[in-house]
Amino acid sequence: MTFNRFIRPFILIFGLLLLVACNGQQSSSANDGSLGTLYLFNWNNYIAPETLKRFEDECNCRVAQDYYSDNEEMLAKLAAGASGYDLLVPTGNAMDTLIRQDALRPVDKSQLPSFKNISSAYLNTEFDAANKYSVPYAYTLTVLGFNYDKMQQLDLPMDSWAIIFEPKYLEKIKGRITVLDSQRELMAAALKYLGYSVNDNNLDHWQQAKDLIIRAKPYWATFSNTSYIRELAVGNIWVAHGYSNDLFQAALDANNTGRNFSIHYATPKEGAVLALDSMVLHKTGLRPDLAHQFINFMLVGENAAELTNLIGSGNPNQQAIPFIYPELIKNKAIFPDQAVLDRLEMLQDLDHKQRRLLSRLWTEIKLR
Amino acid sequence: MKHDQQINKNNRLNRYLISWPPLLFLLVFFALPSLIMLLTSFRFPGEFGGLAPIAPTAEETNHEYGLTLETYQFFFSDIIYAEIFLKSLTVAAITTLICLVMAYPLALFIARSQKRFRNLMIMLVILPFASNFLIRIYAWMIILGPESAFSYLINTILALFGIAPVTLLFSSFAVLVGMVYVHLPFMILPLYTNLEKHDPVLLDAAQDLGANSWQRFWRITLPQSLPGIFAGSALVFIPVLGMFAVPDILGGTGDILIGNLIKDQFLGSRDWPFGATLSIMLTLVVLAIVGLVTWLARPANRQTITNDGT
Repeated sequence: MTFNRFIRPFILIFGLLLLVACNGQQSSSANDGSLGTLYLFNWNNYIAPETLKRFEDECNCRVAQDYYSDNEEMLAKLAAGASGYDLLVPTGNAMDTLIRQDALRPVDKSQLPSFKNISSAYLNTEFDAANKYSVPYAYTLTVLGFNYDKMQQLDLPMDSWAIIFEPKYLEKIKGRITVLDSQRELMAAALKYLGYSVNDNNLDHWQQAKDLIIRAKPYWATFSNTSYIRELAVGNIWVAHGYSNDLFQAALDANNTGRNFSIHYATPKEGAVLALDSMVLHKTGLRPDLAHQFINFMLVGENAAELTNLIGSGNPNQQAIPFIYPELIKNKAIFPDQAVLDRLEMLQDLDHKQRRLLSRLWTEIKLR
Repeated sequence: MKHDQQINKNNRLNRYLISWPPLLFLLVFFALPSLIMLLTSFRFPGEFGGLAPIAPTAEETNHEYGLTLETYQFFFSDIIYAEIFLKSLTVAAITTLICLVMAYPLALFIARSQKRFRNLMIMLVILPFASNFLIRIYAWMIILGPESAFSYLINTILALFGIAPVTLLFSSFAVLVGMVYVHLPFMILPLYTNLEKHDPVLLDAAQDLGANSWQRFWRITLPQSLPGIFAGSALVFIPVLGMFAVPDILGGTGDILIGNLIKDQFLGSRDWPFGATLSIMLTLVVLAIVGLVTWLARPANRQTITNDGT
């Protein structure tokens, strides 16, 4: 029921937006009284359509969105010469790259009265010490999703990475596990389980992580970055290594289609990867004024809350809490408490030599 | 005499005029990109992905620049890359073989049907192209999934023979199914085009001379259809070698192919030079195979077969 409530207006509004966009292109030469266009380069489905509509009404402007599905794709498109974007929403390590490339415009906090709404836990990260360039938008955790009923039935633990790495557990769920098809994310899980940092780049530790992965691999069904959402929701897969917002979607789907099991997800006790996405101003953008107006709009609690209610992303905005559904607030994989937060780490970029070595380990993992 | 020379000259001129568009096409869409790839493979990766500058810049004096053989050393330093090539070649060869065995009877059937049905049947062969390739592959995910009717049927049959149930999805089998499914039309169409042109009089003559149906196929139809077989095999074999979407979606934990590896270099690892090196090696392997097949199928070889057949 809730799923329909969300999705139906979404589809309707998306359709309407398409129409508007098509009409807009035709009428753009004529003066329609709007104050210009804000170009936003954003993740797929990373803003609620009603939020966007309200902003367009407020600023009397249009928002043109282009989408990417991972940071590398965004960086690659910018490197290939894509320009004119006022706002980007990169994850920490990609933002670090953009800052070092000198591709970003500093944020003028005097234009952002609502900046104070951001929880201090998500400010001053290692990537942007004084938030000179970035304003936190939302975050996801890389966690484990479970078919709760199956786990109970088989008496398996749901609080540790051991479930995807230890043969004594894996034997009971062979072929029912997927892990992310991402070198960094899977290595991070293995490194965390071995007690190292997700950013550890000691070659011995990498080898240990590789051996751990290769030992567990025969028990896994496949590497999956998106299809696990459906496979978990229909019951084909019982344990999935995935992103908290995708697992939110799987849990919602399983619930709405009336399955006789429920999907739970939890942050393993060893710790996990935190991906904090921030709004940044790209230097090639022509409308920093609109961009600041947009950032401040998104910092208003009610507007920020809509995204969390839509996709189950974590929300760094303290003023958003009263507007978020209470069942989401209670979920520690969406809103980690301090104890969990202390064990979360953000991924840092590797240099190109490390990337090449990791890629060879990864090839070995995939081939063996 | 003079008139003849004039005609010859015109012919030659015409031949040039006709051949330059395909030549230009090859130059712009094959030679030039390959050259860019070749150059890329000798460069250093940039700090943020992309490529490091060829000449040192004022700000980054300590960064690597220029050209290097590093990526080729890296390629030959580990046996796993050769293993992946071998595995991809095997998958491509098996896919081509299955496509050929499945497509030949169908193409023959269509070519020998009444004329008014042929176009309809060819349209049915092409029909799957009307929907997006990825959607069709995702459909196979459902068909091969553990809860599907197809899986149920297969496992029920296996149970009759006392064989334990199998998982179809996320396996090398699923990858082969996807590969064959996607590339089958590329085998059927050139085969049909070839078979349709065969002169039925030859078969009648053979029958009059006492050849049975197997001899007629083996000594008349098959040798004449060799160009179609070669064309179809090339159209299947080469794309399969570079395919990454099918193993990504249908494959299990061990179904990486060379296409996936190249894709990984450009996206996940942001290592363009190594990705370019892998692409160059793949191009070389494909060229070597195409060269070999062309040599095998050269007119001199085919002549003897045809002579034998007629």
